[in-house]
Amino acid sequence: MSMDASTERKLLEHARVVSNERVAEGVGLIVLESPRVAHAVKPGQFVHLRIEQGASFLLRRPFSIHRVVGDRLQILYQVLGEGTRALAGKERGAEMDLIGPLGTGWFVPEGTAHALLVAGGLGAAPLGMLVEALALRGIAVTVAQGAPTTERLVARELFEATARRVEISTDDGSAGERGFVTALVERLIAADRPDVVYVCGPEAMTRIVARQALAAGVACQVSLERLMACGIGACLSCVVATVDGQKRACVDGPAFDAADVLWDASEIPPKH
Amino acid sequence: MTIEGSDINVDMRVRLGTLEFRNPVVTASGTFASGREYADFVDLSRLGAVVTKGVSLNAWPGNPSPRIAETASGMLNSIGLQNPGVEAFCEKDLPWLAQYDVPVIVNVSGHSVAEYVAVAARLEQDLTVDALEVNISCPNVDEGGMAFGTTCVAAAEVTRAVRAVTVKPLIVKLSPNVTDITEIARAVEAEGADAVSLINTLLGMAIDTDTWRPKLARGVGGLSGPAIKPVAVRMVWQVASAVSIPIIGMGGIMTAEDAVEFMLAGASAVAVGTGNFVDPTTTMRVVDGLEAYCRGRGISAVKDLIGAVKF
Ligand SMILES: Cc1cc2nc3c(=O)[nH]c(=O)nc-3n(C[C@H](O)[C@H](O)[C@H](O)COP(=O)(O)OP(=O)(O)OC[C@H]3O[C@@H](n4cnc5c(N)ncnc54)[C@H](O)[C@@H]3O)c2cc1C
Ligand SMILES: Cc1cc2nc3c(=O)[nH]c(=O)nc-3n(C[C@H](O)[C@H](O)[C@H](O)COP(=O)(O)O)c2cc1C
Ligand code: FES
Repeated sequence: MSMDASTERKLLEHARVVSNERVAEGVGLIVLESPRVAHAVKPGQFVHLRIEQGASFLLRRPFSIHRVVGDRLQILYQVLGEGTRALAGKERGAEMDLIGPLGTGWFVPEGTAHALLVAGGLGAAPLGMLVEALALRGIAVTVAQGAPTTERLVARELFEATARRVEISTDDGSAGERGFVTALVERLIAADRPDVVYVCGPEAMTRIVARQALAAGVACQVSLERLMACGIGACLSCVVATVDGQKRACVDGPAFDAADVLWDASEIPPKH
Repeated sequence: MTIEGSDINVDMRVRLGTLEFRNPVVTASGTFASGREYADFVDLSRLGAVVTKGVSLNAWPGNPSPRIAETASGMLNSIGLQNPGVEAFCEKDLPWLAQYDVPVIVNVSGHSVAEYVAVAARLEQDLTVDALEVNISCPNVDEGGMAFGTTCVAAAEVTRAVRAVTVKPLIVKLSPNVTDITEIARAVEAEGADAVSLINTLLGMAIDTDTWRPKLARGVGGLSGPAIKPVAVRMVWQVASAVSIPIIGMGGIMTAEDAVEFMLAGASAVAVGTGNFVDPTTTMRVVDGLEAYCRGRGISAVKDLIGAVKF
């Protein structure tokens, strides 16, 4: 089945902040009342959020939809620069406009019985809706989650409540195995032979997991971050090099088939 | 010129030589693709014209990523005119645009005079194309691009060569990266340009202080957005006093008041670029706002704003 939504209408909606709270050091969860987008969005899609109007920074910021509850969108965000700092300061009742749902979202190959989801740090964000959707369809899900510290294992509770199995690694060993999530993934692929691997995290990690999956002959989808100006396919700032030529992460992705990505010709976004 | 009362009907039409627009608001090349991506937000038949992304003879891959960087009140881009080539553009984009009742202006790029001519000659055969906008001002390609827009001799040469192969209205897009933009404007007017559009982006650079690397993979890129508006308004004003052909003004337009400034400085039409990224409905807001601005001031025809700045 495809979760492809590229033919769907893109909406411009005024969203209202329902809550905004810190969930870990430098990480927040904001809940937005945005009924039209909430009812249309599919796992892996994102919104392009206008955090400030007429401020010194102009461009919208792209954020994955972590979960949808009724008319509400949940976004997990990491505070990095001016935009996400301003986002962290938004209080209940504040209004922001957003464009969405954007991107194609994750694709579930025909006959999938077992999926492995790999989340590195904030890469957990776009996997929230996916784990719920897969579980609902009776697909067995294993999650391999890695983060620097226990506190930064964002969405761990959701994964533990929804997936059949969750394996953890932390850089400091404060939860699960000490080390990188890629070591877990190597073992999980060999032992469980999932039908498909979904990956989101820092691009260096994503690339290693993609290589592990493809080497084992397992289908793999990766969610890639690129700097985005328009977010709707017009400006060509977000290109990813693939076997089918240059694709736009905002409309042809952000989820790509790992086998199609030409990694060396694609760039890793700065700072991550 | 001014009529008392606020319920007048404002005549929003403007003329650029033989081109007639239903209103002065057009899209800035490269920020609107061919319009398809904006169709959920913009009624294309309410635009003055659609100006498409630059096309070259063969496909261009564009520059490496990162291709954009945000800066104070603006952004840098080094997209590098990625496009599928004129043939693919004529096959895929023009038929789609043809279904709308809106003038289509195709932005033409080239690495050489011969390439500009070849692209223009191909577009000449297509009835959907209402005018050409020759981009001699792209700062993001190594050969060609801006080089043609920074000397009078080269600007004149490209204009003359394209003029020889097209009877369609010919607009030349000028670079702000020059000492005296009026010289270039005069040079292209003398070679038969029907209008000029300005400004393209200002060459700029930003450096990441953590990594010490340029924020754009290419190092430098073009600055756009509100940060460049005063420079653009000044250049439109200077060019308006130097040439008698009409001007399409652009650079940082986000609101109807911004558009009014450009028109008062001497622009007959205005283009919205970076503003489309910030709010995909910017063009529509500017159209509606311009009309409201005129109505509120009892101005019966928007063209009365053109060059009306007072000293
Ligand atoms: C499809 C997609 C989904 C995303 N989902 C999430 C998410 O769910 N949670 C989350 O925390 N972050 C997510 N990001 C990254 C997020 O958009 C950036 O961290 C954010 O834009 C940074 O803005 P800033 O002003 O705080 O940072 P600054 O560094 O000050 O931003 C400067 C400019 O760079 C851009 N930028 C900086 N880092 C990134 C990046 N990694 N990716 C894209 N643009 C960037 C900003 O949009 C802005 O234009 C996603 C990015 C993409 C492309
Ligand atoms: C992402 C991007 C791509 C552009 N591509 C083109 C192009 O292909 N051809 C061209 O003549 N100008 C191009 N431009 C320049 C714009 O058309 C416009 O002249 C400039 O951005 C100033 O207007 P603005 O401040 O409203 O964006 C581009 C600008 C941006 C931001
Ligand atoms: S962000 Fe503009 S094309 Fe993807």
